[in-house]
Amino acid sequence: MLQVRNIEKYYGNKNNVTKALDRVSFEVADGEFIAIMGASGSGKTTLLNCISTIDTVSAGDILLDGESIAELPASELAKFRREKLGFVFQDFNLLDTLTLEENIGLALTLNHSDPKGVQKQVKKVAAQLGIGDLLGKFPYQVSGGQKQRAACARAMVAGQSLLLADEPTGALDSSASKNLLEIMTQMNQNMGATILMVTHDAYSASYAKRVLFLKDGRLFNELLRGERSRSVFYHEILDVLALLGGDISDVI
Amino acid sequence: MTLSKLSLRNAKRQAGDYLIYFVTVVMICAMLYAFNCLVFSEEIHKLSGLLDNMTLTIALASIAVVFIIGWLVSYTTGFMLSRRSRELGTYLLIGLENKQVSRLFFLENLLVGGVALLFGVPLGNLVYQVLRAILLTMFSVPYHFRYDFSLKAIGLTLAYFAAIYLFALIRSRKRIKKMKIYDLIYFERQNETEAVKKSRNRRVMFAVSIMLGIVGTILLMTAGKLLIGVIGAGCLIVFIYGFFTSFSSGVPAYFERKPERKYQGQNLLIFRTLTAKLATMGIVMATVSLLFTATLLTEGSGMVFNGIFQGRLERDAFDLLFVSDQEDHVEQCRKSMEAQQLPLSASWQYKLYQGVDDSVVAYLEETAEYYRYSYDQNDNSTVFMAYSDYAALRDMLELPEAEWEPDRYIIHCMPYLEEPLRQWSQPLSLNGKNLSPGGIYTEQFTQNLWNGNGHQFLLVVPDAVCMARPVLRFVIAAMTDGSITPEQLETLQLSLGERAADGVHLCSYDWDLLYSKAANVSDTAAWSAMMVFPLFYLALTLALTAATLLTVQQLSEAGRYHRQFELLRKLGMDRMEMRQVLFRQLAVYYLMPVIPPVLIAIPFILDMCSGTEPGTLVGANSPSVILAVSLGLFFLVYLVYTVIAYISMKNNVLPE
Repeated sequence: MLQVRNIEKYYGNKNNVTKALDRVSFEVADGEFIAIMGASGSGKTTLLNCISTIDTVSAGDILLDGESIAELPASELAKFRREKLGFVFQDFNLLDTLTLEENIGLALTLNHSDPKGVQKQVKKVAAQLGIGDLLGKFPYQVSGGQKQRAACARAMVAGQSLLLADEPTGALDSSASKNLLEIMTQMNQNMGATILMVTHDAYSASYAKRVLFLKDGRLFNELLRGERSRSVFYHEILDVLALLGGDISDVI
Repeated sequence: MTLSKLSLRNAKRQAGDYLIYFVTVVMICAMLYAFNCLVFSEEIHKLSGLLDNMTLTIALASIAVVFIIGWLVSYTTGFMLSRRSRELGTYLLIGLENKQVSRLFFLENLLVGGVALLFGVPLGNLVYQVLRAILLTMFSVPYHFRYDFSLKAIGLTLAYFAAIYLFALIRSRKRIKKMKIYDLIYFERQNETEAVKKSRNRRVMFAVSIMLGIVGTILLMTAGKLLIGVIGAGCLIVFIYGFFTSFSSGVPAYFERKPERKYQGQNLLIFRTLTAKLATMGIVMATVSLLFTATLLTEGSGMVFNGIFQGRLERDAFDLLFVSDQEDHVEQCRKSMEAQQLPLSASWQYKLYQGVDDSVVAYLEETAEYYRYSYDQNDNSTVFMAYSDYAALRDMLELPEAEWEPDRYIIHCMPYLEEPLRQWSQPLSLNGKNLSPGGIYTEQFTQNLWNGNGHQFLLVVPDAVCMARPVLRFVIAAMTDGSITPEQLETLQLSLGERAADGVHLCSYDWDLLYSKAANVSDTAAWSAMMVFPLFYLALTLALTAATLLTVQQLSEAGRYHRQFELLRKLGMDRMEMRQVLFRQLAVYYLMPVIPPVLIAIPFILDMCSGTEPGTLVGANSPSVILAVSLGLFFLVYLVYTVIAYISMKNNVLPE
């Protein structure tokens, strides 16, 4: 579904070039739940921005459903984003003037879906994510975890093929984090969502089927969960992080 | 860093956000100064004795302006205070005392006010020059630019400003003194939760206010009595406040029933932004709406007065006119004019005769908007003029010769009567001889006065017919080289004894009429200055204040809008659509508060026009033109603010 081929990204000017991404290549298959891990400054967010077409690559190519993102003209990028990509951000990024239902429905309106079906579609997804009875509330009236579930609903309600999550548990307490990750797993397993999650939290990453490790802009390692239990996988991730020289918070 | 440096830096940094507010304060300062100059100018007062009254009307208007702008300054400083609550909270957190913070705030505002005064006074001089030029032209006095510097005017402007700022600052000082760090830092959060309380009550209020709005408009439009009008106006005020405070829940209720409408196009983003705004600033929006209503009504009144005054001028035909029911009075007038050696270029002495019946009058009263004061209460007949007199008067006025057929009669009327009189086809029956209707002429002929050439119309008949009719009035009409001075007019008046009316035209049966075009021009100019200037001054202040309030509110939300559009970009909205959304959000935001005022002002202004003497408001001063110009001027001023807000938002809010 998603193919990242040898992408590079440089910042800065002639005299002072920072290489944020250095020949990164990987593939995400349809229906996969993949996590990208790395310390601060390792290039995780840059990678996510490039995939989400918010930023452009300096070299290399990104293909989503066989379509090259780099070759799309600027006018097509917006259309591409709203049709193919769903976003979940660390700070929720819900519009505080809209209710949860409207926030979720926004993704459909942007796609110019038939206005008559919007409410029904929103209700269906919201019920699956366990926020069906909160739809009339405004973001500031619900908890962080509930907000993040609304964001997840928004990210998939319009049938987007890839859900990009940037530190989705970053602003949540541990029980809300656990809850959200379980929801995401359920979205992946039961609803067929393909998820690419960027995180520096090993616990979050352990919910994924595959974990990629970035260090200084390069792909450093890859872990597959396979048939192992989540707690075993979690410890394996911690081991890789120790090797990576991640900071203390990553290990604890 | 000293406190004064910090406040200087703050004032500078805020300049961008509050530039439009600052510009408004400067403009209003300029107007205050300009009108103060007008009040204190000896040159202006010398123009007419009537202008002494101008001092009073302008002073009253200025006091109203001080109150309005005082409210604006007070509101905006309070608003800034709440916007900057986090910053002020930080000052308290790092150990500044409330007293010091309040001094900091005081210094900042003093600086802003001082700079506004600094810009406002020179600008005000230009405004004054414009006012002076208009006034001098109205009095037909040559205008030369002169840089006036009136110490008194500056002193008074300074006093006004001191009052405005002291009031605002005392209020904010009280607020700062009571502030607690926690409240300051979490101020925004408090504001948000208040928005959605008691939504059921609001829904009821919404429905009731809409009904009151409809009732109020109907009452105002059909109001024949003062009481009904007052009730109508009351309904509308309740409607405006009720509507804006409950709109935020009325619309979601509507969308709840019709969710497909909500998700159509950009409705969701546009109306949610609006309802969220109204939820927090409904009262402000209603006040803005009320200010706009006041603007339109004040401006409309100004336009109507202006129309009346201009209309009076336009109907002047003769430079001097003396009308009496006694022949020797006219004779005396002629002699006095000769003795005084008035610079007459032409004059004509003639008579007005009593017509045969009241059929034309009755016809007009039935078909046209016509009423009249007659020379004699018991006499309602048409006025006749002999053709030879008519021809001589036309010649004196340099009008083309009238088409004359001996068996027809000519009608000379005010333009507004032309249409109904064209339909008039009855012949005049005199001594067994019939005269059929001939041409109709509508040139200016001094017909609007109680005592002029007929009551808004007269019939021109053959001389022989007139000889057989009783004389109603003896008249002398004259044209002069140049204007008659007030002194010359006064001398003439004194020589005519106490029956000569001292004003321009008095309505009394025992008075002779001495009418001077120059005196009318001067009086009209003075009345305009007294009535029209202050009304426009007030209207402009009201409009600027309300538009500024809306714009400051809007621009201060730039950060929030920026976040909204940044998210929409990520979610895949293209730039074009974003521009559309922003445009519509602003359009709805700016249109909402003007809809009720426009709905109220249209019937009100038209009603006021219909209250004037018939035939006064015609042509360039007709009710439709007055209405169009009133609305046009208002929207022009408003558009400036709207466009500034849109451009500023477009540049600051839409992502690259």
